Amino acid sequence: MSHDTRPRGGFGMLMRSLLIQGAWNYRTMLGSGFAFALLPALKRLYGNDPNALARAIERHSEHFNAHPYLAPIALGAIARLESDQVDVETIRRFRTAVRGPLGGLGDTLVWATWLPLVAVCSLVLYWFGVPGWGVVLAFVLVYNVGHLGLRVWGLWLGLDAGRDVGARLTAVDLGSWARRLQGPLVIGLGVLCGAVLSAPGGLSSIGPAWSALAAVAFVLGLVGGHRAWRPAAMATVGAIAFIGLWGILS
Amino acid sequence: MSVVLYRVDERLIHGQVVIGWGHELRPDRYVVVDDEIAGSAWEQELYALGAPEADAVFATVKDARAHLDEWSRDHVRTVVLTRTIGSMRALLDGLGQGRAINLGGLHAGPERTRVLDYLHLTADDREDLGALAAQGVEVFARDLPEAPSVDLDTVLSA
Repeated sequence: MSHDTRPRGGFGMLMRSLLIQGAWNYRTMLGSGFAFALLPALKRLYGNDPNALARAIERHSEHFNAHPYLAPIALGAIARLESDQVDVETIRRFRTAVRGPLGGLGDTLVWATWLPLVAVCSLVLYWFGVPGWGVVLAFVLVYNVGHLGLRVWGLWLGLDAGRDVGARLTAVDLGSWARRLQGPLVIGLGVLCGAVLSAPGGLSSIGPAWSALAAVAFVLGLVGGHRAWRPAAMATVGAIAFIGLWGILS
Repeated sequence: MSVVLYRVDERLIHGQVVIGWGHELRPDRYVVVDDEIAGSAWEQELYALGAPEADAVFATVKDARAHLDEWSRDHVRTVVLTRTIGSMRALLDGLGQGRAINLGGLHAGPERTRVLDYLHLTADDREDLGALAAQGVEVFARDLPEAPSVDLDTVLSA
């Protein structure tokens, strides 16, 4: 039996990867979703042998976890390993080793950088007078260009690199992308603070006391927020929210 | 002593270790002790990606035993990780006096019985832990620093 170097079924896997969290559970986490998304590739390889297909689905339903947007890297690489007829034990070890970095990189790049960056930029648009529906539309479009782009790129990288995705990811250095985006994120936050303070209906129109309180809270958070004892931080945020609400309602 | 944690966790370098324990212990080096991974470049690349801000070192049990004293004395804050309780015993056998090992993620599998949500042990694991404890090694189960620590007697009686 001969194989193309690049396994087929990529489009089906990409579409199914959007549902990879659909059967999330504490025991196998993304496991079932992973097997579901891999099915187009598995069917091409084991389509003539229902028993082999069933065993493959069972293997790929085992515990798996990763950031959902980066999971296509693992899907692509494993489709490639299966298609290259790599032994079951090596594939299992690959699956175990790849989940840690894909989780950590995804959290840093998406949850801690891309999502807040696009959200802050959208809020800036709002405070500069763009109507609400326009802001929501801009957020959804821009956010998903990054989101879907990451999935397509990841699947392609996995299919291309197979077992060597580690070396390829080291070369690409997703962490440095996150660091580069953090600059614009900080600038966006600064612009947002300025807009919230100075815009009509913003903080400065409520009164100087509230602006001062917001400034104090900002400085406290900047200086001590990251090392505050969690209950103390929550109590502080709660107190500020209470005072703020009381000021607005009274 | 600059080995700040000895941990058994089949996921090795991953979020719970790097974020959970890393935030608390601030290690500069992760040493993965595993005979198979020590000879597998592509696996090392993957695990090293999990700890971008620290060194990742991969060693066989034999090499790690030779370096254990050095790691304990130098000034690099080090976390030592193994995939199995068996390799942790092989690493510390006869050298473990006064050290403590942390049991983290060992998940459900054939011949393993549940002790805690994150801890499932085989009969061999229990024997290895008993042998280490008899040599003066403290054993405790704790998945994250903010979780309660469970001592060996409680682990073995489950």
